[in-house]
Amino acid sequence: MTDTAVRTPVTAVTRPDNDRWLTLGFAAPATVVLALLFVLPLALLLVASVAGPAGFSLAEYGRLTTPHYLGVIWNSLRLAVLTTGIAFAIGYPAAFALARARGVVRSALLATLFLPLAASVIVKAFAWTILLRSDGIVNTVLLALGLVDEPIRMIFTETALIVGAVNIFLPFMILPIYAVVAQLDHRLVDAAATLGASPAVAFVRVVVPLTLPGIIAGVALVFSLSVSAYVVPTLLIGERYPTLSTTIAKAFLLARQPAFGAAAGVVLLAITLAAVALSARLGRSGGSR
Amino acid sequence: MSSPDGAPHVVIRSVSKRYGPLTVLDRVDLTVARGELVTLLGPSGCGKTTLLRLVAGLATPEEGAIAIAGRDVTRVPPHRRNVGVVFQSYALFPHLTVAGNVAFGLAVRGRPREEIDRAVARTLSLVRLEHLGSRRVSALSGGQQQRVALARALAVEPEVLLFDEALSALDRNLREDMQVELRRLLREIGATAIFVTHDQDEALTMSDRIAVMNGGRIEQLADPKTLYARPATLFTLGFVGQSTRVRGTVAAAADGVVTVDTPVGRLSAMGHFAAGSPVVVAARPEHLNVVADAAGHDGGDRARNRVDGRVRAVIFQGSRSRIEVEAGGETLLAELPGRGAADLRPGDDARLVWPVAETFVYPDPEARP
Ligand SMILES: Nc1ncnc2c1ncn2[C@@H]1O[C@H](COP(=O)(O)OP(=O)(O)OP(=O)(O)O)[C@@H](O)[C@H]1O
Ligand SMILES: [Mg+2]
Repeated sequence: MTDTAVRTPVTAVTRPDNDRWLTLGFAAPATVVLALLFVLPLALLLVASVAGPAGFSLAEYGRLTTPHYLGVIWNSLRLAVLTTGIAFAIGYPAAFALARARGVVRSALLATLFLPLAASVIVKAFAWTILLRSDGIVNTVLLALGLVDEPIRMIFTETALIVGAVNIFLPFMILPIYAVVAQLDHRLVDAAATLGASPAVAFVRVVVPLTLPGIIAGVALVFSLSVSAYVVPTLLIGERYPTLSTTIAKAFLLARQPAFGAAAGVVLLAITLAAVALSARLGRSGGSR
Repeated sequence: MSSPDGAPHVVIRSVSKRYGPLTVLDRVDLTVARGELVTLLGPSGCGKTTLLRLVAGLATPEEGAIAIAGRDVTRVPPHRRNVGVVFQSYALFPHLTVAGNVAFGLAVRGRPREEIDRAVARTLSLVRLEHLGSRRVSALSGGQQQRVALARALAVEPEVLLFDEALSALDRNLREDMQVELRRLLREIGATAIFVTHDQDEALTMSDRIAVMNGGRIEQLADPKTLYARPATLFTLGFVGQSTRVRGTVAAAADGVVTVDTPVGRLSAMGHFAAGSPVVVAARPEHLNVVADAAGHDGGDRARNRVDGRVRAVIFQGSRSRIEVEAGGETLLAELPGRGAADLRPGDDARLVWPVAETFVYPDPEARP
């Protein structure tokens, strides 16, 4: 009793103040860096996208609504949705396998996830072209085995694009889910079972909700990475599959249309932000805590 | 209604469980009557949790069988056993509210909404948490979480309730309150329960019967009073209550009474041993009386043991005092009610006197060649 009476004013008055200053202090360096390196250039980008020859103009955005460029936006979304969906279908169970593995197996599996992150995305995309070319390794093997009579066209197809993108972005799906699954308390599954939940029901009602934060982080990461991917579509499918990123690059580097490039950049940014905001919101309403 | 009716409800028959080379349970037999509360008491690692998990179906025995309410459930998965478990860590679902946790078992059984709501309200009021249904479980105190765990297990009206150190995370006062409250609640609803603890006071307070476990076996199964008054083995004696133990060799045996030569002198005890057997003689501190002057009046009483020694320490403990007496290099412990030891001081000569009928004798476990 006396103890609380003495302590209450101290904690009530000084702690929140301290906390606020501490929080601000810790956030300060990141805030400065983000402001200088991201907010400023993005503001300039936004300005450039609406700067016509005669002042303010939405003409560049108008160009993006033509059938061709709507198709480009669709291509980006399609690449992102397919990649994210497939990466999730592979990555979710993989995260459980990883969390369940022990000793050497676990180390080996983690290494196969982390090592590719050390290699440049260009190297990995080129590796896929070497595998998939008509005179590439896959076709050579197929021909040698007599399974096909002539090389199969694999490179520069949408399949190649999606397979490559999934492969390259998969770690970003697995790692955040793994981080959550590894923390999962298995006694909760036991508790669900003793309460009458079959393994499938326990999975849906306990495991999925508790791993939702990891799912959302993984989906948000892979979606933003693949919707804005540049190297992967450029090397694995090329001109046949223009995306927002390749369009932006062309506008700035080849066509010298910075205003149009900026407008496409703003659209890409808006899509990414929407995806991240949506997943954050799902995480708050459905996740744990 | 409040006492067990004797019909077997849980029957554990010759159950063994191994993890690799380690035999965690070794042919355990245990029958729990309907409405009875049996406690598994034993040191860490003796297999208490494992035995509970076998009853719950969270693990499967290599040998033996388990039946609940006459049905063999040895190979039945946990979700078809209808056994309620209160885990030591409570294992509440952090993504659900208090009511959501309590409703879980009924929800997965696909019961209609109104029935679930009614059952949740009833169960929450049973554990006196009716006002906290919409809280997140992380916003509860330890005692409240413990009650939610209990309510969640009760809500499905299980055949048997299993408690794995369900109270050990609570602080002492709360734990003692909960012991009494839980015992009353379980009697009220006539629940059959198996309760795991390594706290002997908790076991003595709560149980109809106590199974003392040691190294994967049940050492003794008895009601609390018998267990305390007549511990069947040296292990049970050491694990339940306090005692003084001295080793010795049987000098003579006649009519169920053995006379044993020990470092503190010649002691008698009730038991059957051949002369020459290595044994351990023991007694509870509350049976030892301290007589200040050694010029005893009860000189020739054969029904009592007597040891002369010197008071080493007098420890005042409120309602009683503990006196340590040194004799023949051993320390004997006596306990006197109230201020009964007021005039004793360290260094005083003292005589300890206690009944032969309250003297235990066991084979010496360390004397085997
Ligand atoms: N899944 C398992 N794999 C291997 N060994 C296990 C497993 N579960 C339990 N054991 C071992 O079985 C023995 C008994 O464990 P158990 O958890 O039943 O003990 P306990 O009596 O509940 O102990 P405590 O009081 O510490 O909870 C211990 O030696 C433990 O290491
Ligand atoms: Mg245990």
